[in-house]
Amino acid sequence: MSSRKSSRSRQSGSSRISDDQISDLVTKLQHLIPELRRRRSDKMSASKVLQETCNYIRNLHREVDDLSDRLSGFLASTDDNSAEAAIIRSLLDY
Amino acid sequence: MASANKPINTDVPEKDVFALHFLQSLSNLRRQNTFNSPEKTNDRVKKIKKVAYVSMARAAGGTNRLWSRALLRRAAKENNKVVRFPRRKKRVTCLRRRRSNRRDPVEEEEAERLRNLVPGGGGMEISKLMEETAHYIKCLSMQVKVMQCLVDGLAPK
Repeated sequence: MSSRKSSRSRQSGSSRISDDQISDLVTKLQHLIPELRRRRSDKMSASKVLQETCNYIRNLHREVDDLSDRLSGFLASTDDNSAEAAIIRSLLDY
Repeated sequence: MASANKPINTDVPEKDVFALHFLQSLSNLRRQNTFNSPEKTNDRVKKIKKVAYVSMARAAGGTNRLWSRALLRRAAKENNKVVRFPRRKKRVTCLRRRRSNRRDPVEEEEAERLRNLVPGGGGMEISKLMEETAHYIKCLSMQVKVMQCLVDGLAPK
């Protein structure tokens, strides 16, 4: 998959994406990350936001790992009815 | 071709969409004979994890997003053979050459780390990367919520 297109070529003054849009996206990301949302600071540096984003994603991956592990334990039973019922019940009750 | 002013949409579907996809995949898994045997734990965990990501990618819009497309492509490849995802090698040679006119070297280093974490990130320009990241994060947290609900529901009272 060679995606080394010209979109990555040097663009100094007239970049396709404006600085405003980047800053917008940074703010958007900032609001998505619980850690940063709590701090309520108006503007964080882009690199800090990116850094926290990476940490957050890694945490989420770890949670998926952990939950998969636990689910595996529960689903190993051969008792079909109760497991199915419990699953459906739990998701309908949220 | 100035697409710079297109509004950026990072909406994700509701939680039930994720739940539905995940449940369907799980129920398919359980129909496999080898799935329910108590010994094959590692296999089972791996399958559940894979199914979690694939069903999340489908729920999130399948091929409509770069990250979900990359994820599904990777999963399809894995079904044929166990291959280590080669993205990393290509990306490193790509980026090193381009350091010269980047807006901020610090940002680019963080962006590189982010590209590692988001499926398909290796080929993205930074604003696209951030947009995909926002969507990816939302979907990931939905998926986590769904799985947490399941675990809570299945846990012995």
